[in-house]
Amino acid sequence: MEKKEFERPYIKKIRAGVPSKFGMPVQAEPVTHIDGVPVAELITDFGSPLFVISEKSIRRTYREALEAFRSRYPEVQFAWSYKTNYLDAVCRTYHSEGSWAEVVSGFEYDKALSNGIKGSQIIFNGPEKSRDDIVKATENNSLIHIDHFDELYMVTEVAETLGKKPRVAIRINMDTGIYPMWDRFGFNYENGEAWDAINRIMMTGKLELTGLHTHIGTYMLAVNAYAVAASKLADLAVRIERKYETSIKYIDMGGGFASRNTLKGAYLPGRDTVPSFDDYANAITGALLNSEINPGRLPLLILETGRALVDDAGYLLGTVLANKRLSDGRRSTIIDAGVNILFTSFWYEHEFYPAKHTSDHLEETTIYGPLCMNIDVLRESVAFPLLRRGDNFVVKRVGAYNMTQWMQFITLRPAVVMIDEAGKPHIIRERETVDTVTHNEIVPTHLKSE
Amino acid sequence: MKRTTGQFGESILNSYSQIFFSDNRVFALMLLGVSFTDLYAGIYGLLAVLVTSLTGFAMGFDRNTVAKGLYGFNSLLVGLGLGIYFQPGIVLTLIIILSAIFTFFISVAMQGIIGKYNLPYLSVPFILAAWMVTLATREFTTLGISERGIFTINEMYILGGGRMVAVYEWWNSIGIARPLRIYFISLGAILFQYNTLAGMIIAAGLLFHSRISFSLSLLGFFTAYLFYGITGTGISDFSYSYIGFNYILTSIAIGGFFVIPSYRSYFWVVLMVPLVALLTISLSSVFAIFSLPLFALPFNLVVLLFIYVLKFRTRPSPSLAEVVIQQNSPERNLYSYVNELYRFRYGVTPVKLPFFGVWEVSQGYEGEYTHKGDWKYAWDFVITDSKGLQFKGEGLELSDYYCFDKPVIAVADGVVEYVENGIKDNITGEVNLVKNWGNTVIIKHADYLYSKISHLRAGSVTVNEGDKVVQGEVIGHCGNSGRSPYPHLHFQMQATPWIGSRTIKYPLSYYIHHEGESTFSLKNYYAPAEGDRVSNAVVNDLVKSAFKFIPGRDIRFRVSVNGKEMDETWEAAVDEYNNRYLRCSETGSVSWFVNDGNMLIFRHYDGGRRDFLYWVHLSLYRVQQGFYPGLKLHDRYPLNLYVRRWLQFFQDFVAPFFLFVRSEYQLFYKSTDSEISPTRIVLESVHTNRVAGFVTRETRSEIVITESGISRISIKGKGINIMAECREQV
Repeated sequence: MEKKEFERPYIKKIRAGVPSKFGMPVQAEPVTHIDGVPVAELITDFGSPLFVISEKSIRRTYREALEAFRSRYPEVQFAWSYKTNYLDAVCRTYHSEGSWAEVVSGFEYDKALSNGIKGSQIIFNGPEKSRDDIVKATENNSLIHIDHFDELYMVTEVAETLGKKPRVAIRINMDTGIYPMWDRFGFNYENGEAWDAINRIMMTGKLELTGLHTHIGTYMLAVNAYAVAASKLADLAVRIERKYETSIKYIDMGGGFASRNTLKGAYLPGRDTVPSFDDYANAITGALLNSEINPGRLPLLILETGRALVDDAGYLLGTVLANKRLSDGRRSTIIDAGVNILFTSFWYEHEFYPAKHTSDHLEETTIYGPLCMNIDVLRESVAFPLLRRGDNFVVKRVGAYNMTQWMQFITLRPAVVMIDEAGKPHIIRERETVDTVTHNEIVPTHLKSE
Repeated sequence: MKRTTGQFGESILNSYSQIFFSDNRVFALMLLGVSFTDLYAGIYGLLAVLVTSLTGFAMGFDRNTVAKGLYGFNSLLVGLGLGIYFQPGIVLTLIIILSAIFTFFISVAMQGIIGKYNLPYLSVPFILAAWMVTLATREFTTLGISERGIFTINEMYILGGGRMVAVYEWWNSIGIARPLRIYFISLGAILFQYNTLAGMIIAAGLLFHSRISFSLSLLGFFTAYLFYGITGTGISDFSYSYIGFNYILTSIAIGGFFVIPSYRSYFWVVLMVPLVALLTISLSSVFAIFSLPLFALPFNLVVLLFIYVLKFRTRPSPSLAEVVIQQNSPERNLYSYVNELYRFRYGVTPVKLPFFGVWEVSQGYEGEYTHKGDWKYAWDFVITDSKGLQFKGEGLELSDYYCFDKPVIAVADGVVEYVENGIKDNITGEVNLVKNWGNTVIIKHADYLYSKISHLRAGSVTVNEGDKVVQGEVIGHCGNSGRSPYPHLHFQMQATPWIGSRTIKYPLSYYIHHEGESTFSLKNYYAPAEGDRVSNAVVNDLVKSAFKFIPGRDIRFRVSVNGKEMDETWEAAVDEYNNRYLRCSETGSVSWFVNDGNMLIFRHYDGGRRDFLYWVHLSLYRVQQGFYPGLKLHDRYPLNLYVRRWLQFFQDFVAPFFLFVRSEYQLFYKSTDSEISPTRIVLESVHTNRVAGFVTRETRSEIVITESGISRISIKGKGINIMAECREQV
């Protein structure tokens, strides 16, 4: 018989008898395996902390999302939002499923090209595009989404210089009934700025207005906002066709679909409140199909969903460094992954799971990272079992934004592993070394020691 | 004027070849030559044809009918017959002019009388005219009976002296088996030339014109020969009057000309020829009373009877099919029939799938659950996931089913005929047998063509009776009403507008069949089977606009054929029957096509095989006007289009029984510069002939499409290298 673990005694207030609407607090189910691979084995093989990405989950979620839209609308195309996670292995998984690339900088653009995506399948978004970027995108037949007038002038100038007609779309912001309204990107619909941009494009004749783009916000829980946005874009498309006899080839609804993570301050957990792909699809395609657009000539529907596609596929694995009691008696657990690598802990109440079976006794715990910084708090308060130094934990749903927004600070960034569909782990990004950091550093000669 | 002259010339030649149901120029010239082996007969024959053609054109009859020689050949026979029996002279000339006009009038009258039953008049006008004239001429004392046919050697001597006689004697002494000799003479007898040489020339011409006709001529003749032998009928009768041409013509008409040649048509030849023999014998005794020759009467009677009888079949078999579009050659008729059967099986209104995305057929035609009896031609569709399941979770709630509440669209343009929208959706596992069709939309697409979509979600129907809908318009949402235990979509085509109407077999025009994760094929005029995963085919604007070929426009090319540079212009046009075609201004060749906005199909080509247009016809034989990288589009050419002539020559002999040559077309979507608004798309097609699996010929074409249309076509293969650049479109 296995020796039972010793757990220090503690005093706990009995809260029986007042279950919430979700029943009694549950036992912390451990996450012992990821796609069949034991967590302990992963940490032994690749170190701690460690990001793990499930290829199976990526593909399953992608297909689910695609099916939700494809079964409701004639032509649908997903474009992988590079900024959400631009690890090559991840991008290539999406591309292999048929997804295009949506990039927001010259760097991401080059990365997409190097991942074997055709220039014509890259959507170039964002307010920051250099002239060189525009030249490159024009020559590669990419879809340039214009964000502001200064960019419009620049694209027009590039078109004149190159003697080539770039394929462009304009990004449009609008009131979709949500707060806060995103109006910093693109041209406003209500105040006529969008029409101003469209008129300029059509009048100069130097650019080919192929599409209309909007991105109404991020982590959108209200599907109706998408319906409003889609019908406004459809109206715009119909009116452009009426005025200029140019058909809009695609409507890009951007992204912003919520993942099942729980936002800080949310009353209910994300997995219960977040709309499904079907809900989003119903709202968007319903609005487009019910619009005045001729059903025989419905434009291609492009979606740039990032978060909702990849969040579930990512896991953060780590190790407990220490436990200690705070001044008010609360328990705190210090782990080896800080806010610098789990960036999204600023927004989400991340779900922490033990990597092995523990006792049923959960205690309100604060989870701290390893940084020598006061802000390094991963969870202010979470009902968590006691883990001892050296025990492993798993954070679910960390696939979006962490592996792009993470920063090297105090510690080095961990390795990233992808588990393929057959259950075999592959290292897709090496753990950083000192050399990674110092590689680009130059020490002036006078400071170099003899 | 030039056109009339050309048509006049055509009418003369065709009048000769039409006797053997042909429009082959070379064959016509051979027959013309044969007819002149008796100089005067030849002259009078030609005179009769000239008179008929002149009358035809001058009186304003249909130019095409005259040009095809359909009026001329009966007059020709009259001219030849009279020319050979009577002494040449003014009287005979007068009689021939009169009888040519008379024959022509009978032809026109017959066309009016039996043409409406879709029956040909064959050589009936000739027979009637020849009898009338023969009976009358007995009273014309100034008209002398020709003795030419009787004292042949005398004539020979007059014409060519002793040497000619020697040649003639030698010719006659050549050991040709008696039956074969009679065969040749019988062939010659069709043109009133009772000698083996004439027969041999005709046989050679017939072989040149059509292998099937040639082999049928042998089949018909020897079947009769055998019949005479078996029945013990005087074989001398058979050989003396050389009435054998009746059997030959019957055989060609029934075996290959009015019926698509097949093993069954050959079988009927073997049955009908003895009948002709029977009639020949019995009628001879009747007509002997009036001392009138039978001519081709037995042939006419039997063939007309046979063709007329065929029309009354209620279940016509595809292996004994009447020729609908007469192309004047059994081979052409056969190959295009086989090809059309393969390419165009069903109707003209294109019908698409009633949904977006990829769905699976859960029950197809003649399904095991409900698609039975009057309702056997229907489909049920559901959405399945990668595991093949129709639902997520436990499948107890309607919303667990992937297809539930998905939009349903009109399959073609039309008018809403009937709407049922208020039947409650069943809970899973239960069925409504009272209102078994559930919420339903019936749309009228054409006369006698309705689509019916059933089991829609209660209250989801968005159209009303009388509404006009276009293909792709949402009409409702998939539900679970009626006899539907689980959400699914029922779709059928029917000829009547009612909710319980029986289904009709009307396969889908075009759809994509998803065979695997990323493998798919385009199906056309096909009914998806149970378990097939299918989606609608999508059209690409650039490709579509390149193949619009708006009537009245000219497309100019700079073409280099094997290094030879030339200019070529296509005129896009449409004829009075709405048939669309491209005509090459330089060579006059014509390529007929259909384009329903989804599929471009080249159907028929008239012209030379060296023309650029011929190669374009092959290269763009079938184009789905979308862009599907990885898709291979298959089609087959008729065997008289791309197969080399010598190979086709051998194929022709056995074509009614089996085809050992395969002539195939494949199209690939090679590259595009943009998926969203492309400006340059490259298509590639491969044209392959195979004999028993071995490639005997292969050419490849690359077609570059830009915003201005077809911009470049290059065709490469053994012995062919064509490069064409589009100059302009006006």
